[in-house]
Amino acid sequence: MKRSTLAWRLLWREGRSGELTILLIALIIAVSSSTAISLFANRLHRTINFQAAEFLAGDLVVSSPTLLPTVWYAKAKQFYLKQSETVEFSSVLMENDNLLLAGIKAVSDFYPLRGQLKNRQSDYTSEKIAPNPPKQGEVWVEARILSALELKLGEQLTVGEKKLTITHILTYEPDKRGDLYSLSPRVMMNLKDLASTKVIQPGSHVHYFFQFSGQESNIVDFKQWAKPYLTPSQRIMDIHQDRPELGGALIRAERYLGLSSVIVILIAGVAIAMATQRYSERHFNTSAILRCLGCRQNEILWLYGYQFLYLGVVASLIGCSLGWLGQQQLFYLLADFLPSEVVNPSFLAIVLGFLTGLTILFGFALPPLLRLKKVTPLRVLRRDLEPLPSSAWLVYGCAFSLVSFLIWHYTNDLKMTLTLLGGGAFSLFVIGILIYSIIIRTRKFLTKLPLNWRFGIQALLREPKATISQILAFSLTLVAMILSFSVGHDLIRDWQQQLPKNTPNYFALNIFPNQLEAFKQDLVQEKIELSQLYPIVKGRLIKINGTTVQQVVSKDSQGERATHRDLSLTFSQTLPEDNQIVTGEWWETDNQEQGLVSIEQKLATSLKVVLGDQLTFTIGSQQLNARVSSIRKVQWETMKPNFYMVFSPASLKNYAHTYLTSFYLPKENKDRLNKLVKNYSAMTLLEVDAILSQFKTILSQLTQAINYLLYFALLAGFTVLFAAVYATLDQRIYEGALMRTLGANQTLLRNSHLIEFSLLGFISGLLAIIIAEALIFSLYHFVLQLDYHFHWLLWGLSPLAGMVMVTFAGYFGVRKVIKSSPMEILRTTEDS
Amino acid sequence: MSQSQVSQAAEVVIETKNLSKTVFSSHVALHILSAVDLIIKSAESLAIVGASGSGKSTLLGLLAGLDTPTTGEVLVKGQNITVMNEDGRAAIRNQFIGFVFQSFQLLPNLTALENVMLPLELAGDNKAKAAATSFLERVGLKERLKHTPKQLSGGEQQRVALARAFVTQPTILFADEPTGNLDSKTGAHIIDLLFELNHELQTTLVLVTHDPILAKRCQRTITLEAGKVL
Repeated sequence: MKRSTLAWRLLWREGRSGELTILLIALIIAVSSSTAISLFANRLHRTINFQAAEFLAGDLVVSSPTLLPTVWYAKAKQFYLKQSETVEFSSVLMENDNLLLAGIKAVSDFYPLRGQLKNRQSDYTSEKIAPNPPKQGEVWVEARILSALELKLGEQLTVGEKKLTITHILTYEPDKRGDLYSLSPRVMMNLKDLASTKVIQPGSHVHYFFQFSGQESNIVDFKQWAKPYLTPSQRIMDIHQDRPELGGALIRAERYLGLSSVIVILIAGVAIAMATQRYSERHFNTSAILRCLGCRQNEILWLYGYQFLYLGVVASLIGCSLGWLGQQQLFYLLADFLPSEVVNPSFLAIVLGFLTGLTILFGFALPPLLRLKKVTPLRVLRRDLEPLPSSAWLVYGCAFSLVSFLIWHYTNDLKMTLTLLGGGAFSLFVIGILIYSIIIRTRKFLTKLPLNWRFGIQALLREPKATISQILAFSLTLVAMILSFSVGHDLIRDWQQQLPKNTPNYFALNIFPNQLEAFKQDLVQEKIELSQLYPIVKGRLIKINGTTVQQVVSKDSQGERATHRDLSLTFSQTLPEDNQIVTGEWWETDNQEQGLVSIEQKLATSLKVVLGDQLTFTIGSQQLNARVSSIRKVQWETMKPNFYMVFSPASLKNYAHTYLTSFYLPKENKDRLNKLVKNYSAMTLLEVDAILSQFKTILSQLTQAINYLLYFALLAGFTVLFAAVYATLDQRIYEGALMRTLGANQTLLRNSHLIEFSLLGFISGLLAIIIAEALIFSLYHFVLQLDYHFHWLLWGLSPLAGMVMVTFAGYFGVRKVIKSSPMEILRTTEDS
Repeated sequence: MSQSQVSQAAEVVIETKNLSKTVFSSHVALHILSAVDLIIKSAESLAIVGASGSGKSTLLGLLAGLDTPTTGEVLVKGQNITVMNEDGRAAIRNQFIGFVFQSFQLLPNLTALENVMLPLELAGDNKAKAAATSFLERVGLKERLKHTPKQLSGGEQQRVALARAFVTQPTILFADEPTGNLDSKTGAHIIDLLFELNHELQTTLVLVTHDPILAKRCQRTITLEAGKVL
């Protein structure tokens, strides 16, 4: 008979007896949760990216100052990509003796490829989704254009030399760019009318945007193809760079999803390791008998190896199916929060779940299995002969390399992998030694304790190594649960703080200094609370320490983009709210020194600018030199005005400047703006409600998803903790029965078990919070860029939770020792 | 057949030369077996007797290739198993040897039938089930094929163990205190069965016991005291 067939028979016989249940459950949990999470994360990631594509109106957008060569269109066609095109420029409109600078956007017929336009047909009708953009001869405008130019729907608006009929009020365009300072009220027209306006002349300042959409893989291929053809002034837009307020949230959420997968796998890995260890110990006799019956060492390994392979395949298949159902359920439950169009699960993610199952099984189960091969056949005569434990290097090396690989794979983030592994391994090592020495020293005090305490503690002291490995296993599970809980919780809290209830939804630009006081008074009169007013001077960075910037910046970097255009420069006596000095010092309030500038951290890194560097700017026809006196961290996600460069007041105040501010105005009070718009005709009022609500929707979706993952991780943790406690019960049950034959009564046994489990749980819980706090600190500080705070509550909760869970699971498992006859237990344990 | 007739006619199955076993405990050498020379011939039954700690089980372990001696050698069917590695000895056990233990050593999760089938399955026998069933019938357990060890009495478990030992029709059967865990009446039944099967299959029997009555049923007895053959 083939070994594989025999192994299958043996597995079947074992399975029938219930011997494999714990192992099977642990494996199914591991596979189903990792599959569910990776499927969910994969779908959510792709869905969010898809949704994020709405913010660009296409899957891939190229911005360019000129038209693209025809070869681009041919190539896009070859990749089956849909195409659309928009042209943006500023133009002064004049109607009814009113002048207004407007942002004109001419769009092709397929625009937008992703997302939708929304409009109203009159002041009184509600907003509707527009299936098509403006037709030829039509124009859609924002409401404030109508009020500023005293126009009505159905009337004509002249753009350049072309008269167009105003048919709709434009209420929403998906790709309204975050470049808040250059935005003017929008006029949207059909691209076919553009030529006849004769607005665009050689040398006109025009932005072309070319949108492409299609299958994910084709987009990636097209992007690969296009990159080398980009001229310095052309650029492929990216959600992470072009919408930093969203990009940041997305990156963190993705990292959290990855982290959750790893955590669940780690929890399950611990359970598998413990369950296999128990399995292995319970099979020493079987191996010895098999050896007596003539099995070679390698045959034994093959027999068990095949059994585990079958077990892995069966458990992975069940786990994958459950995982698939789980993520379906997840999307079903979150239907209200998630976008209506969710991409299909990727087959690759299912295969990955299956392979993960087999990898975890062998990574964690191999060392205990190898021990079975080493059982001496002489054990049939002398039952005390146990095989040597597998070498510590093998056991921990195997699990450690596997965990490292999985963390790296799921987070795709080397920094996070190293933080988790380094922090985890170091604290485990230090604390392992610490517990060992405490256990050894506790022995001295034992004789002074009451009998039940003595029995309880003795049970822990008898085999210090086994106790430590149990404590570490429970702690790891708890650490994983704490990490999942606190990171998820803090991430959500951070997002909520980012967008408090009264986040500014309007930006007012182009307020002249002589209008400033009147403007402030008007706002007070209209009961509108405004935030800080920032002076704006347009200027361009041209030199760093006397060297032209073009020689310093690398292609396609943030630095290159920032030096290709005018920046909004500001000056301020005080450090702007939400900004944080990283290096250097902010100027003192009475400082009158000229030529000091504070630069934003990421831009500084991209431009390789350090403290003390000399920056040269052109402002109009003048040049301004400034020394970098501080580097600032800026929270771009706050939706408040933020600046790359902030100057000391004395450096910039003599240049011509206008003011910018932001404020919150509830929707129902929108009419209060009319007066402002009329009084300050040059002012540009920018409404960011739409951007804000889109941003909020995405954040709330992510929050829901994270909460759900959290419950998943916690549930897996609880289940595994129970399974792990069960896996350690054999020895206790046997000893309990022995003690009863020697006259120990039920109360004494119960109490000493309770003491033993409580201590085990308490120490594990305490250890877990120490490791978790250290990991949280490093993760927040180095990886997630979250504000770290000490988790007081968890320091109390973790040991308590550890104690309750381990005691409950342990006591539940050993209660039969206390109730059933010692003879029966001794006979059963002896046989196994 | 007298003992001298056996020794002249039959082939030598097991031979030991100067067999010794010493273990070190807390740096003190304990001589468990010293210079044992033995010849066991085909179809012979041999009882090894002696007090507790005299080295009986150690000798059995060495003869069966379960353990290795400190000095000396063991030859099974002419092959020196002392120089073989563990896998080589496993192959010898598979080919020639069967065991019966004091504590039965049945696999707890397998039924009586599956326990008896196991050695045949390991040897790659496709008719394991039929052979195992017939041996279980032979030991009177026709009705208990699907019971697991927990559902069987001690005597029944040892009968399953006997069936498992004989099912491969081994050349040599080692029995380590086979009645040690049984009451005297059940023990006597098991011994009758053991000798019946032994006779039928012409197996060489090496039996470790401290029971003189049981030892007398064997053709030859050797007595161990402090690791030496008296």
